[in-house]
Amino acid sequence: MDFTISEELKSAQQLAQQILGDFTSVDQLKVIEKQAERMDTALWRALAEAGLLGLDIPEGNGGIGLGFYSLTMLCEEVGRTVASVPVIPVLVSAAGTLRRFGSDAQKDHWLSAIASGATLVTAALEEYNNDDPSMPGSSAQKMDGGYSISGTKICVSQAQSAARILVSARAGDDLVVALVDPRAAGVTLNAQLVTTGETRHELVMNKVQVPTADIIVTGREATEAMEWALQATRTALSAMAVGVCDKMMRITGSYTSEREQFGRALATFQAVSHRVADCYKDVECLRLVTQQAASLLDQGRPADEAVLMAKIWCGDVTHRVSQASQHCHGGTGVDRDYVLFRYCELARQIELTAGSSARLMGELGQDICAEYLAKAG
Amino acid sequence: MNIELTTQQKALQMEVREYMKTVMTPELLEEMKIDDLKEGGGPEFRKQYARMGADGWIGLSWSKELGGREMSHVEQYIFTDEVVRSGFAYPFLTTEAVTPVIAANANAEVREEVVGGVKQGKVTIAIGYSEPNAGTDLASLTTRAERDGDHWIINGQKMWTSLGNFADYVWLAARTDPDASKKHKGLTMFLVPTNIKGFSCNPVHTLGVRTNATFYSDIRLPDKYRVGEVNAGWKLITGQLNIERLSLFTHGQVDSLYQGVCEWAAETPAPGGGKIIELPWVQHNLAKVKTGLEVVKLICWKQAWTMDQGPLNMADASVAKVYSSEFFVELYRMLLEVMGQAGTIATHSPGAVLKGKLEFRWRVGAVLTFGGGANEVQRDIIAMAGLWMPRTR
Repeated sequence: MDFTISEELKSAQQLAQQILGDFTSVDQLKVIEKQAERMDTALWRALAEAGLLGLDIPEGNGGIGLGFYSLTMLCEEVGRTVASVPVIPVLVSAAGTLRRFGSDAQKDHWLSAIASGATLVTAALEEYNNDDPSMPGSSAQKMDGGYSISGTKICVSQAQSAARILVSARAGDDLVVALVDPRAAGVTLNAQLVTTGETRHELVMNKVQVPTADIIVTGREATEAMEWALQATRTALSAMAVGVCDKMMRITGSYTSEREQFGRALATFQAVSHRVADCYKDVECLRLVTQQAASLLDQGRPADEAVLMAKIWCGDVTHRVSQASQHCHGGTGVDRDYVLFRYCELARQIELTAGSSARLMGELGQDICAEYLAKAG
Repeated sequence: MNIELTTQQKALQMEVREYMKTVMTPELLEEMKIDDLKEGGGPEFRKQYARMGADGWIGLSWSKELGGREMSHVEQYIFTDEVVRSGFAYPFLTTEAVTPVIAANANAEVREEVVGGVKQGKVTIAIGYSEPNAGTDLASLTTRAERDGDHWIINGQKMWTSLGNFADYVWLAARTDPDASKKHKGLTMFLVPTNIKGFSCNPVHTLGVRTNATFYSDIRLPDKYRVGEVNAGWKLITGQLNIERLSLFTHGQVDSLYQGVCEWAAETPAPGGGKIIELPWVQHNLAKVKTGLEVVKLICWKQAWTMDQGPLNMADASVAKVYSSEFFVELYRMLLEVMGQAGTIATHSPGAVLKGKLEFRWRVGAVLTFGGGANEVQRDIIAMAGLWMPRTR
């Protein structure tokens, strides 16, 4: 048992903090927020130049190969600064899946371009009422030279600017994981405004022809790929939530220590300070389950239950810390000239992405039932 | 970052688990049916405690000079976790909290007498901190110790002196300077042999187990039983609190309860067909318990690991206390809900589920959120030490 974070990872984290800090003043955030499809391209470039887009991309493919755990640390820092950079869809869901399940030719073609910041490949894992990409409603039909894919994916980040969008579809009993070109015939992108205030897209695919070169994996391996992608995405969301919640809680601690009512700082009321102390406790719990899930995935060990529990905590803690922070701020917290609303919006977005707490609690309960029924024989 | 037990740590875990099965003899289980002996003190308890001493299981964390094995905190936690899981009333406060302080601060003769006795599993020590009017505000305690030559005259009353009915000593906090500028500066620590004239003990029966009120009436205590400097007792009390907490909340015992309820629910038919565990609300409760329990495990491991690296951050120690105590209470409820009415059937009554262990844990669990430092005080500490917020008033 060892909770040590290596010096190498700590340096990468400090570098990320420094760069993210340089790009996320309130004025800078406001400029980016005016964009339709939000993306701080200058920041993305700076992260690329520092090597941070290639944390979980092998050295042979233009990355620095520090592994999945280091990437979750980057996600945490992005959460802490509410920066508009698509680290999870691009680096975790898409690049992470490509590096583990793509062919050599695909890895050569895409990974170094992602690491250098030249190209965006995003992922569309969710459909309406379905957050499990290993059981999609979208369908694929084999044809000469590739597959024809139809179906609808929702809330896709960077759908317009990405060179490809990673999707899964069902071909009979088989699963297909493919890269869809958003400019291909049969693709329609419909703008969707989401809680964070950014525009994402509904991706409607109507018999989109995907050439063999863009088919990542099929069959049993495709199911493994999507299970990995979902676990990695949930873990990365939990890591981002650690950053978001840790920062919200600290903002609230500082605010209530300075704000005076009845002639004294709000924080000197136990009713107030205890609510913030509970946030501290919640963040620590979330941090521990997230670290556990991330380190298991990093080592390629089974992480199913650890990830479920991390995302359940993620959903609960984002909700509780966000509400407590808003409450303790009074009217200031909801004012868009103050920084807190961005954290609250991102918290809610994370909470409802890739499975809510209630839905995952149901799944975990079914797993427990199956485990013990099997034992009882 | 690798949050799993190593092969060696797992081996230790299994070694302790197997050993403790031999400690929990049928005779001991029979003896523990008697209310007053649930927390130890009976002849079979004494026999098994002494056997643990003879087999070298007491004082694993102590220094080699004291005859310990200088085990790391992580190893010590693994030991504690398994002992608690076994149900043995091991006196952790004696071995882990008080004895190391005595070893470091007591006079040579008393150190030999007490530390040696504990090491052999022959001595237990009760804690004499709380009083009828000094609980959370411990520093306001009023039990007096007045110097009389090379003796101290002790008068006062202690409350909640658990084990006081069979312990060999009470680790007593007494006021030696009533005029100190701050009330915590006028306290001194003593070891009071319970066979001394003027000591008496009355049972206090609680919702859960028996504890005691202890009385100190003109006790003439030789100065050799003073531990540490006069009026320097406060730091001996607070210095051990983190270590004490490491044995208050452990994962194994509650994990066994969770597993026991899962097994019961997988075997027990539901009224409408199928098994209890197939009901959605049962699955929901079990999943909530599992999700919360996982954090108990991680917090315990992280605390033990951190203590091996250096001092424990005050806020994190308080987080562990608040989280675990409040979650245990929730866990007992959620597991009892699964059993419904059967969850109210007491140990040894026909139809008791899991031998009524959960019914009993709930009773004992009532003290968790205030014992070992009230959670309100812990939250004050978290806000101040973790977030640099001002002191509340």
